[in-house]
Amino acid sequence: MSVKNYLDKIKKENKKINAFLQIDENAKGSGKGKLAGKVIAVKANINVKGMNTSCASKTLENYKAPYDATVIKKIKDEGGIIIGMTNMDEFACGGSGETSAFNPTFNPAAPGLIPGGSSSGSASAVAADFCDFALGSDTGGSIRNPASHCGVVGVKPSYSSVSRYGLIDLSMSLDQIGPLAKNVSDAALLLSVIQGKDDKDSISQESKKIDLKEVEKIPKNITIGLLDYKISDKKIAEVINKKVEMAARKYGWMVKKIKIPYIDLAIEIYYPLVYVEFFSGTRKFDGRRYGKKIEEFAGPEVLRRILGGSEISKAEYAGRYYHRALKAKKLIEEEFSKAFKKVDCIISPTVPRLPHKIGSKISVEDMYSYDVLTVPANLAGNCAISIPAGKIEGIPVGMQIMCDRFKDEKMLQIARAFEKI
Amino acid sequence: MADNFLFHEVSDKEREEIKKQAKCIMDSFSEKLSKVDKEMKEPTIERKNCEREESSECDCYEIDPLGGTSTLKGTSREIMFGNAPGKNADFIIAEKGGWRE
Repeated sequence: MSVKNYLDKIKKENKKINAFLQIDENAKGSGKGKLAGKVIAVKANINVKGMNTSCASKTLENYKAPYDATVIKKIKDEGGIIIGMTNMDEFACGGSGETSAFNPTFNPAAPGLIPGGSSSGSASAVAADFCDFALGSDTGGSIRNPASHCGVVGVKPSYSSVSRYGLIDLSMSLDQIGPLAKNVSDAALLLSVIQGKDDKDSISQESKKIDLKEVEKIPKNITIGLLDYKISDKKIAEVINKKVEMAARKYGWMVKKIKIPYIDLAIEIYYPLVYVEFFSGTRKFDGRRYGKKIEEFAGPEVLRRILGGSEISKAEYAGRYYHRALKAKKLIEEEFSKAFKKVDCIISPTVPRLPHKIGSKISVEDMYSYDVLTVPANLAGNCAISIPAGKIEGIPVGMQIMCDRFKDEKMLQIARAFEKI
Repeated sequence: MADNFLFHEVSDKEREEIKKQAKCIMDSFSEKLSKVDKEMKEPTIERKNCEREESSECDCYEIDPLGGTSTLKGTSREIMFGNAPGKNADFIIAEKGGWRE
């Protein structure tokens, strides 16, 4: 579809989805390169020169990015067309798409239910066919979770394989930018463009270049590790088990159940890290040089993380929260490292529960529990993808495939094979 | 305590409740982690080949939030030491509020 067609569709239908916060009426590309003519939506926490990088917050409501993030530069260099900035949970704090200061995002694949978050607008834009693909950021599942709820593909690349220069951070030791797309091949194409070392992101590293032809090949001699983790919604587990059985039968792959010790502590490890790093990262939003003071304009979830992070990082609590979580993070890393010596990939549902109705009352702990199966890949630095696995009463269910760090190509290959069943 | 997660302006009273609740959640998380304290090791920084050599030429940028970037003169070490409120040969003495813009 052409840019004009997409723009017309967005103008007509965005009101009921609220996927876009801003569109570029004059969007155009160079017409040359791997992404020539492809239309891309960008999460509103990634800088696109001249566009409003608001993080869906009143704090940065009028902030215009003065430069392109590295991933945006790479996309533009390959002829990609940036069509607009997508809605999200405020400052990426949330997993439902409800915490945006500019109204929640709606789920085109399951009307009335949350689209997931925090890359809610990017997932909804892809699901609503407002663009060819989108960029999101994933700190604990923020790409994979909305991909699962909206029935699209979402990739969290290996930590440090994609530059975060120009990303407004949530938690720098965990954040990763990645693609959302309608299928695995499109996600692989976008990832192949944005990956690579960048001197402007000090932790970024060179990783194996994704070969798009290899992604299309069915991998042989694969051993799938089916995550042994108790999920209360048996229907979700059934959808995943069925899909894995079908793949094993069709391709002759082996399947074995695998336990990852300490994975049940993932949420308890993740949130102290995020609270403290987010508190630290938001000290620049003091309203003096640009924007407004974050504490005066942020919503409840952003404040919870700032106030909580401020409290637990006090000197009197040294070693009790952040440092303890860092040590526990290492345990998870080691257990994944051991697991990937036995299996090629680890498969689980992306989210252990179906999405709730927008505006439902839910406890903070229950909200955080949506992330329990996505957070481990961020803690270990692995790559992970969510692909549509089926539906339960019309609601999309995503399947997560995790691979070892820098095995992104193999992960995409396995995901593509699942897609071909 | 259950509530919806839709954005709304936060009152002073709610702010206090949020602060207490956040601490309470963090306490319960920390308590669960304390049960595996014995199994944990000190986190180490794996540098391997990731350590970067500082170039003699400056590769530091100052980003102006209102537009554009400007290149800073000197190595990043020189720039950092130049801005430091107090310093010795090999370290910086930093005090809260003492760092000049």
